[in-house]
Amino acid sequence: MAEVFNWQLNRTMQYPYEEVRPVRQAAAVFDTNKCIGCQTCTMACKTCWTSGNGQEYMLWNNVETKPWGSYPLAWDVRELELLGPQHWSGDTYTGKTIFEAAPTGERNIAWKPTDLDYAYPNRGEDEVNVSLTVKRYHLKLPQDMWFFYLPRVCNHCTYAACLQGCPRQSIYKRPEDGIVLVDEERCRGYRVCYEACPYKKIFYNHTTRVSEKCVFCFPAVEQGIQPRCMRNCIGKIRSFGFLSTPTEVREDNPIDFLVHVRKVGKPLYPQFGLEPNIYYIPPIHVDSDDFLKMLFGPGARAAIESYKRAMNGEDNELLAALLLAVSTDRIIHRFAVKGNTVEAWDETGEKVVSMPLKVPTIERVPYDPDLEVYRYNIT
Amino acid sequence: MPATDERVSRRNIIKGAAVGAGSIALAACAPDSAEGEGVHVTRVSRVPADDPDHHAWRASTAKVVPLGPQDMALPQQLSPSISSVRVQAIHDGERIGFRLEWDDAESNDLTVRVDDYRDACAVLLAPGAADANLRTMGSATTPATLLQWKADWQRDLDFGRQGLEAVYPNRSIDTYPIVYDTPPDEVDVGSYEAAGATEWLPGLNVGNPFSANHRSTPVEKAIAFGFSTTTTAPTQNATGRGVRTATGWRVVITKPLSAADDGELAIMTATVSTCAFAVWSGSVRDAGSRKCPAKSVHALNVGP
Repeated sequence: MAEVFNWQLNRTMQYPYEEVRPVRQAAAVFDTNKCIGCQTCTMACKTCWTSGNGQEYMLWNNVETKPWGSYPLAWDVRELELLGPQHWSGDTYTGKTIFEAAPTGERNIAWKPTDLDYAYPNRGEDEVNVSLTVKRYHLKLPQDMWFFYLPRVCNHCTYAACLQGCPRQSIYKRPEDGIVLVDEERCRGYRVCYEACPYKKIFYNHTTRVSEKCVFCFPAVEQGIQPRCMRNCIGKIRSFGFLSTPTEVREDNPIDFLVHVRKVGKPLYPQFGLEPNIYYIPPIHVDSDDFLKMLFGPGARAAIESYKRAMNGEDNELLAALLLAVSTDRIIHRFAVKGNTVEAWDETGEKVVSMPLKVPTIERVPYDPDLEVYRYNIT
Repeated sequence: MPATDERVSRRNIIKGAAVGAGSIALAACAPDSAEGEGVHVTRVSRVPADDPDHHAWRASTAKVVPLGPQDMALPQQLSPSISSVRVQAIHDGERIGFRLEWDDAESNDLTVRVDDYRDACAVLLAPGAADANLRTMGSATTPATLLQWKADWQRDLDFGRQGLEAVYPNRSIDTYPIVYDTPPDEVDVGSYEAAGATEWLPGLNVGNPFSANHRSTPVEKAIAFGFSTTTTAPTQNATGRGVRTATGWRVVITKPLSAADDGELAIMTATVSTCAFAVWSGSVRDAGSRKCPAKSVHALNVGP
């Protein structure tokens, strides 16, 4: 085992391979506060990549309602149970990662779902955190019930568990962008990868009898275009780009800005130790800090406070970076705020976004004399 | 989910036939040899390519090969479920054949569900006289020839390619948009081939043998240069057949004595080579390096 540095844990950890980071890492930030659970991302991916035989219950992209939703069934709870206590000391994780907790003869702890665990992708949809049958809440205000949507794709982890688990090295991480792919020619369907991935985002295709996973729409990414699930996001919650390591942060890179500068983007279950590259802005209305810390690490509450400042007009730069989400099909490499306008450029230097931070309110008179009608939508 | 009536009846037919045939063959078998000796390859007039119960096997002395844990490469199988395999070997001057027989109460011949793992067995062939250094799937300088029989490939051959309907006969599909002209319940791999749309089945599209729609043999010939390097050989000329017995599997595996591919072992008559064996039990999720390998390599004494 090699000693590698995991910045999300703020410490070194054990991993079977040496620390080799890609030239740049494809990454995304999802704003859970804006997700409406419409599943458009799910369908965008499903219709593009996984509509064939053997992929009936394969969802490279899914949206879960937390706290109860999960696909496959209770994936996170079962992984966390196997992992045991997860302690943080400040920003440093002092518990074990899935690699460090590996039993004898294995490379990691692993929950092994059955086929029926994949059969209920919408389990827990729109269910709140407490049972309505236990206590009647309908007259209580402010309400302390909550749920939120958690959209999930492959995290294209820096220390991918699927990759290190494969005994044939059939899974590889592209040096040019960090996208994790399965070599469909080399895979022999041993399924160690699907066991190893704690996020359960690598799947077995029963028709081809080999593994498949999210490819981050690499044919699009290679042309400077965002993945399909990002482009089709109705709620505009998804920011896609390339993330730098904490030592090479570029403040004008919106992904760096969200993750490293303002630190509003938090990894999902960082304690697993994979350094996942999908980041989440935690939900502001969840009242359990313990729950948020379990999902997003110790910085979850601070991220929420930063996010609130932007929403209150106290941080226009952060607001600008957030507004860039799904504002263009092109991958944004640089952004700048000029007065009330945010501008962004792609890799070629072409300006791809120019939009106001705050859209002026225009008020029309209710009566339109030309059409001789009254309008109710006057602002 | 419970197995289908159709599936149960198919299995009963297989098992019934195997029990009958197995009892005849067992009664006719030569006695087992002692441990520690090599595997003797007896010359016969013809190696039966796909008949585990052929009378030719009576000419061969059986050897009981102890199996143990796989504790060298990760992930390991530290609790092997199969303790031994009975091995016989014959040749006819053109082909070499092995018959492997082992106990495994549960038949696992599907790889449809994510938690379906196949039963399998394999023969490792390498140069040298019982060269222990080659137990690790050959080495970087000395490749090993691997012949693996797979129970799911056997079922594909016997009953046609097994798909979701083998497990869930009452499944309901809205549509497969890529091959929308075909009624959903009739869509199979051939539908994609006919439509020229195999890119939607990536494993098949890139020629992965595990994804193949049509099989001619349940035995895969592969070449390995150590752990993690097993690669399907370009020439697939190994044959075989496996049947269920009352207590497990009886499998025959054959290949030409000559070598057709780079790295493949050419076996000469009246010489000694290295061989080893392994068995996988699907019931305990054996796959890849999770297996029950022979505790040691053996000399393969090929008769004149």
